[in-house]
Amino acid sequence: MQTEEIDEIRSKIDLSLWKQIFGFALGHKRILTWLTVSALSISLTEALFPIPTKMAVDVIQGKATDYGLWLPSALFAVLTVSLCIGVYYFIKHAGSISYHVGHDIKRESFKRLQELEFAFYDSQPTGWLISRLTADCDRLSRIIAWGFLDIVWGTGFIIAMAIVMLILKWQLALIVLGTVPPLIVISLYFKKRLLESSREVRKENARITASYNECISGVKTTKTLGREDLNLREFEGMSQAMESASNRNATFGAVYMPIVMTIGSAGAGIVLWYGGKQTLASAIELGTLIAFINYAGSFFNPINQIASVFTEIQSAQAAGERVTGLLNTKPKIVDSETVVAKIEAHSKANSKDEKLAPDGHEMEIQSIEFQEASFFYKENEPILRSFNLKVEQGQTVALVGPSGGGKSTIVSILSRFYEPQNGEVLINGLDYRQRSLEWLQSQLGIVLQTPHLFSGTIRENIRYGNLAASDQDIEQAATIVNAHSFISNLENGYDTQIGEGGAKLSTGEKQLVSFARALIADPQVFIMDEATSSIDTEAEQLIQKGLQKVFDGRISFVIAHRLSTIRSADVILVIKGGEIEEQGDHESLMEKRGYYHKLYTTQFKRERVETVLNSSSN
Amino acid sequence: MGGKNYVSDRLWIPVIATLLFATIAGVFNYYQKVFAAREANSICKQLKDRTYNHIQQLSNRYLDSQSTGDLVQRCTSDIETIRIFLSAHVVEIGKGLILIITVIPIMLLLDPWLTLVSIFLIPVIIFFGYFYFNRVKHVFKEVDEAEGALTTVVQENITGIRVVRAFGRHSYEIERFATPNLEYRDKGIKLIKLMSWFWAPSDFINLMQIGIALIVGSYMALNGYITIGTLFAFLSLLNIVLWPIRMLGRILTDLGKTIVALGRLYEILNQPLETADDSIIKSPCAPISGRIEIRNLSFSHNESAPTLRNVSFVVEPGETLAVMGPSGAGKSTLMHLLLRFYDPDSGTIRLDKYPIQDLNRKYVRAQFGVVLQEPFLYSRSIKENIRFGRQESEERDIEEAAHMASIHETIAKFSKGYETQIGERGITLSGGQKQRVALSRALLSNPPILLLDDALSAVDNETESNIIEALKSRHGTSTTIVIAHRLSTLAHADKILVLEEGAVTQSGPHSELIKQDGLYKRLWAIQNEVRAIS
Repeated sequence: MQTEEIDEIRSKIDLSLWKQIFGFALGHKRILTWLTVSALSISLTEALFPIPTKMAVDVIQGKATDYGLWLPSALFAVLTVSLCIGVYYFIKHAGSISYHVGHDIKRESFKRLQELEFAFYDSQPTGWLISRLTADCDRLSRIIAWGFLDIVWGTGFIIAMAIVMLILKWQLALIVLGTVPPLIVISLYFKKRLLESSREVRKENARITASYNECISGVKTTKTLGREDLNLREFEGMSQAMESASNRNATFGAVYMPIVMTIGSAGAGIVLWYGGKQTLASAIELGTLIAFINYAGSFFNPINQIASVFTEIQSAQAAGERVTGLLNTKPKIVDSETVVAKIEAHSKANSKDEKLAPDGHEMEIQSIEFQEASFFYKENEPILRSFNLKVEQGQTVALVGPSGGGKSTIVSILSRFYEPQNGEVLINGLDYRQRSLEWLQSQLGIVLQTPHLFSGTIRENIRYGNLAASDQDIEQAATIVNAHSFISNLENGYDTQIGEGGAKLSTGEKQLVSFARALIADPQVFIMDEATSSIDTEAEQLIQKGLQKVFDGRISFVIAHRLSTIRSADVILVIKGGEIEEQGDHESLMEKRGYYHKLYTTQFKRERVETVLNSSSN
Repeated sequence: MGGKNYVSDRLWIPVIATLLFATIAGVFNYYQKVFAAREANSICKQLKDRTYNHIQQLSNRYLDSQSTGDLVQRCTSDIETIRIFLSAHVVEIGKGLILIITVIPIMLLLDPWLTLVSIFLIPVIIFFGYFYFNRVKHVFKEVDEAEGALTTVVQENITGIRVVRAFGRHSYEIERFATPNLEYRDKGIKLIKLMSWFWAPSDFINLMQIGIALIVGSYMALNGYITIGTLFAFLSLLNIVLWPIRMLGRILTDLGKTIVALGRLYEILNQPLETADDSIIKSPCAPISGRIEIRNLSFSHNESAPTLRNVSFVVEPGETLAVMGPSGAGKSTLMHLLLRFYDPDSGTIRLDKYPIQDLNRKYVRAQFGVVLQEPFLYSRSIKENIRFGRQESEERDIEEAAHMASIHETIAKFSKGYETQIGERGITLSGGQKQRVALSRALLSNPPILLLDDALSAVDNETESNIIEALKSRHGTSTTIVIAHRLSTLAHADKILVLEEGAVTQSGPHSELIKQDGLYKRLWAIQNEVRAIS
């Protein structure tokens, strides 16, 4: 479930922020121009609408001698048609702008999200990011489109009415315009208060939603504790608070309209009184008076709309900050200028030498070496301290140790998802910051602890590792990792839809597919964070056999949990507190009787119990 | 001119009248909105309380089949839809009808012919609105679906972002995102175009109606059939009639949504409560001793495969029974049947001498202290969570229970100690910590029977033996049923029950079972293997 953000209301409007967001609308100049034209034409048409009535009254009264009723009729018809055309275009264009801007902001944000480094994702929860890309973007695009429309239309309408009135009778015009300042002040005040009180309602609502969530996911526990009545009583307290907050909100909303209407009527009343006297004194025509009474009642609407836009912008300020914040975050790990220059030089040289990588250096990775590599999020809390390790082609390294010890940091640094703050990582003796990032990452085959698959078919999922792979390559990769037999047993074979996150496959099957996906890229370096969750013995054996084939001839780093994987490694490193605690092969480490010995015994017991229990049901 | 002076001197009368009417109308308008909102808020509060209460008492069979997100959505968004309709539209519909009913006769009184000319287009507007909204319904749905598809892609990408980065697939993902993003944009624009095709013509007919009334009225005024005053009044009244009709489109859409929301909500509220049969059953007067007797118990979650087959055993008061077996053997189901989360297909469960089907569910559950496999803690402080075991307990009791569950020291280390908040607004406890807090809660209630469903699986070996020791020290006070796999835990039990594929394959004390060929002996043999490698 996505959580709704309940934002602080910012009293200041940050103009540069809205300029950046409005920039997205400027990308659609043609629609924006038409939107402006249609909004202005509507303002003008609406401002002119009382005129035909005035003219008709003048004709009836015999005040207008140079035209008959045909003129107001024709004018009315023209205004009607022009208004409807305006309405048609403004809805169409404002809607289009809104969807276009939404599309563009989402595209840019999504693009940026794909480029940002791992550290960014470590600090942002998934649900939070999803709301940025959906709820926030939609909200901003709506404000940009409809807010722009309301401001153009509203201002245009007010100015047009003012001009028409001043031309008709400036004395009366001044009376009507006198109602504008109080209308503005009152509208802004009430909108602000409404914003605050509706925020209270949303807060209460969020509490209620959380409470429902707890009610449903904890229903068994509630039943065992017999807490149903107590829970209900607490919930009733919350729903009561929500009701009161909603009532307060409704009261504020309800009081606004009568007040602005009364101000409008006061204006109309004064016009009627002063204008009436003038009319009786034959200083103005009855038609004009009627038109002014109409105008007096028309001002609150545009002012109301403009005030709404301003408060809406205030309340969306935080959403805007989040989205522009995302757009303005620059990826930190990128190719340096020298590397970029080298890549360009290499592509210009148009060298056909397959032994060279796009950055002009060697393609083949013979060794990887960590030299005094250190990493930390906070200066005084190092995650990895002066780590040293050299691995040659064909070797497999198993990393073991307690969680939070630094194992995954090592592989993330190796993958250059993070860079070490001190020390370096050398590829064939050269600091990897002097190599192309894209090249390096394309040489890695990575299998994560929870094998994340995408919805779609098995074939599509395996091909994700190498978009150019043929169906034959895919089957071959699946065969190597022992996944082919289970896949062919599925009803639709490789074309089986596996559901969201691969939900229709078992954990073991998902792992096999993720091996095939990693293998099909034919990586020089294989990195695996082994799954801890238990899988049945049969699948485990399949996985083990498959793994050995993947390890062959590659440099492999495995965060290992299963004994069989650990034992098959060339080097076992026990990582604890960001440092190497023990290092060696299985036999030598067992003899040491240290951490590894203890870890191995515990894991041995756990795996044996699993095996015995599982074998009984088979 | 004398007449003019007369009117001029009394011009304050219409002026005051205008202001007065505006104020009165304002006051009524205010009360109309406030009362409508209050009524709607109150109805929805009651709806919320009712659904909350209902959900708590629904059968587990029904709840198992529902997704949490969907249920929450119905209780929140759907009720909100209903609230908006009640507060915004119900009164407006009534008001609109009253206006039409009262205003049209006034207009007829003023001039029947002009009235006819002024309202003849109204049926056209109504028909157009009705027809139109039936047509665009499916476009609304398409846009909703396109939005859903877009969200799914975003969600999948962000949850799988590590895979995306691991394979350097960002440009591929950007391309993949482009399709649903464009789709949503274009569907949205299609909807907006349809909307503009509704609003423009409907405004046109409305304005035509006013225009026709104005022109015909003016001719009549010009020829002296009516006065200018009548014409002016007439045009104002016409505006009053047309307003609710213009709102028709919006009301129809919201009505459609509200009917769907009500339907979804009543799907929940029409589910029978599990407690429906509880009222006729009495609770026994004497406290129970904690003897459990199960005879020929069978149960299946669905028709195809039985979960439990002909299970029988007895646990005497104060005894500890350990249940073990492979995953999927039916261990947790057995626990759930004891708690009356489900009722068995056949066979009996007796608590002392009473068959539990004859006992009130709440009463049955009150006899157990339970730690479920995935313990649930409420988003409150740790202290409150433990106190839920027994509401009236003292702080001392709470700490004692925490001690017994080997969690007291961990809690004391938190900066806020027992007041530490758990959950979204507080800290996240590890699996083992959660299990131990839940155990403290169960121990605090000091029940006749303690049920531990793999309750220490995430706790390390050392801590587990401490807890087992502590539990033993209170041995004899509670009957204990524990699902466990650790050999040390199993060996401590008075009796062990081996469950395989829903049936009891072995049962007896440790000393007997290690002599029998079977799962237990094979498991116990692992001890020797471990000794061999170390």
